[in-house]
Amino acid sequence: MKGFHAFCVVLLIFGSVSEAKFDDFEDEEDIVEYDDNDFAEFEDVAEDSVTESPQRVITTEDDEDETTVELEGQDESQEGDFEDADTQEGDTESEPYDDEEFEGYEDKPDTSSSKSKDPITIVDVPAHLQNSWESYYLEILMVTGLLAYIMNYIIGKNKNSRLAQAWFNTHRELLESNFTLVGDDGTNKEATSTGKLNQENEHIYNLWCSGRVCCEGMLIQLRFLKRQDLLNVLARMMRPVSDQVQIKVTMNDEDMDTYVFAVGTRKALVRLQKEMQDLSEFCSDKPKSGAKYGLPDSLAILSEMGEVTDGMMDTKMLHFLTHYADKIESIHFSDQFSGPKIMQEEGQPLKLPDTKRTLLFTFNVPGSGNTYPKDMEALLPLMNMVIYSIDKAKKFRLNREGKQKADKNRARVEENFLKLTHVQRQEAAQSRREEKKRAEKERIMNEEDPEKQRRLEVRQTFLTFIRGCLLAPYWLLNVILCRHVHRLKA
Amino acid sequence: MQPEAGERLEPGADPTWRLWTDSKQIGNCRPSKPPARPNKESGNRTEGLWYKPPPSECNPALDDPTPDYMNLLGMIFSMCGLMLKLKWCAWVAVYCSFISFANSRSSEDTKQMMSSFMLSISAVVMSYLQNPQPMTPPW
Repeated sequence: MKGFHAFCVVLLIFGSVSEAKFDDFEDEEDIVEYDDNDFAEFEDVAEDSVTESPQRVITTEDDEDETTVELEGQDESQEGDFEDADTQEGDTESEPYDDEEFEGYEDKPDTSSSKSKDPITIVDVPAHLQNSWESYYLEILMVTGLLAYIMNYIIGKNKNSRLAQAWFNTHRELLESNFTLVGDDGTNKEATSTGKLNQENEHIYNLWCSGRVCCEGMLIQLRFLKRQDLLNVLARMMRPVSDQVQIKVTMNDEDMDTYVFAVGTRKALVRLQKEMQDLSEFCSDKPKSGAKYGLPDSLAILSEMGEVTDGMMDTKMLHFLTHYADKIESIHFSDQFSGPKIMQEEGQPLKLPDTKRTLLFTFNVPGSGNTYPKDMEALLPLMNMVIYSIDKAKKFRLNREGKQKADKNRARVEENFLKLTHVQRQEAAQSRREEKKRAEKERIMNEEDPEKQRRLEVRQTFLTFIRGCLLAPYWLLNVILCRHVHRLKA
Repeated sequence: MQPEAGERLEPGADPTWRLWTDSKQIGNCRPSKPPARPNKESGNRTEGLWYKPPPSECNPALDDPTPDYMNLLGMIFSMCGLMLKLKWCAWVAVYCSFISFANSRSSEDTKQMMSSFMLSISAVVMSYLQNPQPMTPPW
């Protein structure tokens, strides 16, 4: 505060001096020029708190020169802060020295000197201002990934195509000797034996064969791995999977007896038992080991009855199963085949699914994914087994006891199904009746006339009584008949 | 030698083809029962009675949902890339389109595939037109 007071005193002194100088000038221009010079002089003093500086501007006519000179004076004044300080000190010799007057002043020359000594920092140029491809490394990575995917697609697709063609070339002769029609996609109205595979996908190929005794047709499906999909290729590196050949033979109704039988790897049979409608209903026991018949430990058997197993496991079939056990995933013979279990929505009445006499074969292509066209020749004996199985299924017939047991099983399944359906239908009928009653009650409640309301209530009670009297004998008859049917079947 | 259509039909016989028309029977595409008439057989082959293959809709092996899911994902990522101006979303959309194409069935409509491709590529192009800076990873 003392310093500030001293500063104001100094200003006042110089102000009075300047006024005296103004009085000396009669010309306004001179006054203006002098004003600029004088005020410039005092401005320098006000900023630096110094009265005079030796680098003060000399009046000149040219403005540019004035400005340049002023600037020079300012620059010089910055550099000559020490000189100003000296002059300040000199000027104030007459006044008592106040330390507080120049508080912070000493810091200023220090900071300016430190500024001149600061090292030059080089800031990194932002990426978007750089003219180099290196900054786009992520984009280059993406494009490289896409190119790799495209290359893998082409290579995988071609390999699957070669494998399919190799399989067909190997099996063509056998198929053409057993079937009249080999290869048809079903698009033409007339029968056309194309003699080639039908490509459903980049990894699935179909072949339809028909024109043979005892079977309606045979659908062969080559299910290769998704070699054209890079993600699938990478996933297979973690978990190896094999290519598969699935064969579905649809038998004529009169050429196959009534039985359900399956043989294959234990894991495959457990999965099939859960998924397939017929295996879950007719073969409820766990898969049994085939060691009794001389099968390897890797194979298990699911059968409706022991007679079927004994009949199916003849010498030739055992030979096939034993020698090619590593290639066999599952073999499923069924007269009640209806596909996988169907999940019905609630509220909808169940419908008994239509069944078909079918032989299903699933074979694994050797190689566990690393398959070559020459590996397809190893599957030819399995196709021989399929042909043999077709003839075997036609010849095999159950004896009287087996037939009775099979019929009993089918009747039981049908009855259970009808019971389930009956319960659902009853529930639906009950809900409909309740809805009707509720609507009737609402109508009675909404009736304003009390006489009319009473008459409606009486009418409803009477109708309910009549309905009960009429339906009671029908219910009794139904119960008696059901019991009678049970006794007969037992 | 492949048989020709109609060559082995008996005189006055009905057409041999029976269509698998009962499409309501899910999981079991069965033909209707052929008429009882003698077939001309040579060895095990029956010449004159052929059945039509089951339609592909009944084939459960082709119920792979991967192409549909990838198609949908591709469209979602494309929209995210366009609306939110996220370059990495646009690039992921391109990858989803490629994966959907690789897993698609031959019977599928190519128009949807092409539209998915075009959408994903336009998402990438628009992202870079709006902001030519290099992509920054999302993490």
